[in-house]
Amino acid sequence: MKRRAIFRSPWKDIAQFALLIIVAVWLLSLSTARLGYYWQWYRIPRYLFRVVDGRLVAGELIEGLLFTFKISGVSLVLALALGLATALLRLSDSFMGRILTRLYLEVIRNTPLVVQIYLVYFVIGPILGLGRFASAVMALSLFEGSYISEIFRAGIVSLHKGQWEATYSLGLSRFDTYRDVILPQAIRRILPPLTGEVISLIKNTSLVSLVALSDLALQARVVAADTFLTFEVWFTTAVIYLAITVPLSVAVHALEKRFKVLT
Amino acid sequence: MNKTEYDYIIEIENVSKTFTGGVEAVRDFSAKIRRQQVVVIMGPSGSGKSTLLRCLNGLETPDNGAIVVDGIPLDDDKHHRLEIRKEVGMVFQSFNLFPHLTVLENVNLAQMRVRKKDKAAATQRSTELLQMVGIADKVNAYPAQLSGGQQQRVAIARALAMAPKVMLFDEPTSALDPEMINEVLDVMKVLARSGMTMVVVTHEMGFAREVSDWVIFMDGGQIVETGTPECIFTNPQEERTQRFLSQIL
Repeated sequence: MKRRAIFRSPWKDIAQFALLIIVAVWLLSLSTARLGYYWQWYRIPRYLFRVVDGRLVAGELIEGLLFTFKISGVSLVLALALGLATALLRLSDSFMGRILTRLYLEVIRNTPLVVQIYLVYFVIGPILGLGRFASAVMALSLFEGSYISEIFRAGIVSLHKGQWEATYSLGLSRFDTYRDVILPQAIRRILPPLTGEVISLIKNTSLVSLVALSDLALQARVVAADTFLTFEVWFTTAVIYLAITVPLSVAVHALEKRFKVLT
Repeated sequence: MNKTEYDYIIEIENVSKTFTGGVEAVRDFSAKIRRQQVVVIMGPSGSGKSTLLRCLNGLETPDNGAIVVDGIPLDDDKHHRLEIRKEVGMVFQSFNLFPHLTVLENVNLAQMRVRKKDKAAATQRSTELLQMVGIADKVNAYPAQLSGGQQQRVAIARALAMAPKVMLFDEPTSALDPEMINEVLDVMKVLARSGMTMVVVTHEMGFAREVSDWVIFMDGGQIVETGTPECIFTNPQEERTQRFLSQIL
């Protein structure tokens, strides 16, 4: 039997992609022509960067992006800590711990994030004396923590029980078992789904604009309202989000491939 | 009585274990194992030998009966259990090495964490043990880079690193390719001759004949017959033992 050629000409793919773009642009121009939309892309760059007194200054959209980074970073650290703690508590012998974590997971996972953000901002925030930023971070961390805890748990229980038996028979404490044997292996396995959850966290931060935090989404809304450059602003915003999430997504695929080879 | 002069290192009294689902794995089992004895437990699969062995270090908790290891009762007391876990080494059928650690790190881990040795002292002891089991040239390899026989020898070194008073072997050669069985058995023979107390669940008759002091033949969770290897292998009294031996010989 003759082997099929593995090599494919890249020109075919490039031609297909170019055709797709042409069709998309054509459809878009058709629809904007019908709306009588007047494209003004040249007005966008000043909302990304502008030159003030000979210095480059971030425009509204880039400022929003930086804020999105900030809130994503803080929430991610807290969500990881909360997720790990919840997973460990859920796998522990403590009856109360298991009940509490179960309750937390059910409540968080079965209500919309928007509702949680409002509830934390309007109800829990004032009770605890949290500011707007802290409330938003709390809502995002609670939400993502619940999903991350399930990822951690899945990674931990996916390990062969022989690993537990080996540490048990060597006399290792539960703490040492987790630190030296279980978590290092579990984290390797869950890195791909965990990175996926990071992407989801970054996307979900756009909802904090609801409580008037000036993240990328809110800045885009403000700029669009000020300038009536609705299409240009939202396209630019989408591209900015993509510029963060696509590289992460590619990294996930690379990780998945690498770990498939290792395990 | 002074603990170190305690004659029997393991005492098993009327131990029973039924798994959820109603399978009675071990039924009213009693035995005493002396220091420096090598005891081989044989029997058909499902006869409860592995379950019994796993009860000896607390991996399984018996429903009834008592187990005393080196004078320490194996009960609900955490300190007792920890003490027994430290003093009883175990080698598994599936090796259970830590795949993310090198051979040396596998053997070092418990010495550093449980025995609180520093890295240099642990490494020195590990190197000696790995030399003994013939893996000295692979200390920086990862378990996946070793053959099954090599992995099992590392697992033996890892258990020995805790300087246990008793070593339990749960079918240590059952998962190995035939040509690798002997390299593991040879290490176990050296260990047996060095005076280590060993309880071995195995089908390896040659090993049992050569180094064991005592053979327990089990079926249905109970002792069918027990005696020296000569008695059991050349002159089995029970019909069930005869039938089993004729099948595996």
